[in-house]
Amino acid sequence: MSNLQEEQAAAVQPVDVADRATGERREGQLARRRHVIERLQGQGLILILAVVVGIMWSSSPYFMSTDNLLTAASVVSILGIMAVGETLIIIAAEIDISIGSVMAVTSVLIGSLVAKGMNVWVAVAVAMLLAAGVGFVNGILTVWFRINSLVVTLGMYSIVLGIAYVLSNSSTVIIDQQGFSWLGSGKIGSVPVSVFIFLGVWLAGQAVLKLTALGRHIFAVGDNYDAAVRAGIRADGLRIGLFVAMSLSAGLAGVIVTSELSSAAPQVGDPYLLAVVTAVILGGASLAGGRGTLVGTLIAVAILGVLQNGFALLQFSVYTEYIVLGCLLIFAVLTDQLVRRSER
Amino acid sequence: MTAGGNGPSGALLEARGITRYFGSVAALQEVDFQVSAGEVVGLVGDNGAGKSTLLKILCGALRPTSGQIFVDGEEAHFQSPRESRDRGIEVVYQDLALATELSVTENIFLGRERRRAGALGALRVLDRPTMAVEAKSTLDSLGIQIGDVSARCGLLSGGERQAVAVARAIRWGSKLLLLDEPTAALAVMEQRKIGGLISEVTKHDVGVILVSHNLRQVHELCDRIVVLLHGRMAANLRKADITVEDIVMWITGVAAEAASG
Repeated sequence: MSNLQEEQAAAVQPVDVADRATGERREGQLARRRHVIERLQGQGLILILAVVVGIMWSSSPYFMSTDNLLTAASVVSILGIMAVGETLIIIAAEIDISIGSVMAVTSVLIGSLVAKGMNVWVAVAVAMLLAAGVGFVNGILTVWFRINSLVVTLGMYSIVLGIAYVLSNSSTVIIDQQGFSWLGSGKIGSVPVSVFIFLGVWLAGQAVLKLTALGRHIFAVGDNYDAAVRAGIRADGLRIGLFVAMSLSAGLAGVIVTSELSSAAPQVGDPYLLAVVTAVILGGASLAGGRGTLVGTLIAVAILGVLQNGFALLQFSVYTEYIVLGCLLIFAVLTDQLVRRSER
Repeated sequence: MTAGGNGPSGALLEARGITRYFGSVAALQEVDFQVSAGEVVGLVGDNGAGKSTLLKILCGALRPTSGQIFVDGEEAHFQSPRESRDRGIEVVYQDLALATELSVTENIFLGRERRRAGALGALRVLDRPTMAVEAKSTLDSLGIQIGDVSARCGLLSGGERQAVAVARAIRWGSKLLLLDEPTAALAVMEQRKIGGLISEVTKHDVGVILVSHNLRQVHELCDRIVVLLHGRMAANLRKADITVEDIVMWITGVAAEAASG
């Protein structure tokens, strides 16, 4: 009994005033450090963009021509469409790495349906349904069976890509339909249609994130799942919905690439996964969830677009791009880690 | 030593004969418990005495093996914390209560956002200004001082977060607050603030159950103190009758031995 009494006495002993002051100072320090790093992250992104633009401009005068910039924008739009979905899903503390295979299967399915004589737009609709189905399965496995989404979508990547190859017999199907090729290579004024599609998707994502309750819920689920559920948010449905939306945007990307190439092939999705995840993390979204902005993603997408375009202009090998992309991804994750460490 | 009555006594919440087994182990046996509006009841006991089990049963996170719960004299069968919350019972946890990346306002309105007609009329968008004003007035009414309601909760101190969590519970019409170790992680000044907050809350006729290891604080803040010992209610004490030392004697079982022997 006396033991407990002593404990109680100790518990109510006023903590040293100096301790409290130290604690407050520490909290202030953390807040300031966090603030500085966040600003560095935001302004750093713009700085990186300025630097890569500067380098490319000085190495190739053609770089800054309107034609070239529009081409670069068109190329990067496909990546950008998926980066919007990936940003939302990473904010919700999940990840989807099956996107390249969804692009592939969408493309191949359109090809084989058109080859069988189906109207190309009906084929597109069927392929998008399949894409939504893949997202739904990703969501169900992640949410209901509580499997890590990295593992779920890695498995799905392999399964879906395999299906794409089987379906295509590893061959390319030519899709020669005028209306359809407008999506990927048409222009409105002098701006490629795919750029408008990207901007539309981006604006829709931004509206959801900034203006709707759903946007707040996505942040809350990624930040503090238990608190979100206790606040009455239907976190399961929300996450499944995000996986479906993600797969739909990958499907859309697949449709645009197919249209642009006027052909369907299972390889179309290969280069995108790494670029999409790099863009999202570089843009300031945290793999731990709860943090990220579409503005950051947009700037990061622009950086990748400039790099890709510049490398092509300078006739660097594609493999150099892989090296740079990998470095950027690790750099981005490091920054994220730094921000998180500044929290506590 | 029980001060509670037998029938539905106008209590906000009444639990009767609550028993809970985990396998063959009895965590709670025949516990009676009640709280009235505006009353602060301390729930104390040694580790393993059954405090958390009782708390979880009262908020619907666990179901009792036997026993009844009445809210406003009406029997309730909570299947989940969500159901108990719909009846005005809110648990404020020591942590895990807030999304640290969201602002004070966003946390208070999380899951219950105010919306207004957006650009296209049909679409409903967040009404941030209204929410900020309401959040501010909720905090003010409880005497909680947080400079900027648009500040991220991650930047608040432990006590401020606790205060935001309490404010949220009150904001949404909770009639009964279950505070689980609300001050364990807080500095002394912050502990005092929570004390002030509790007395403020009772002025709004909200009942409070306070689970805490800090007995001096329990003695200071509570009108009544219920002591659990080995899963049974050892004592139901009115604050006026006892000292902190008496509570310790009941918790350790010394008082019970003295009473029986």
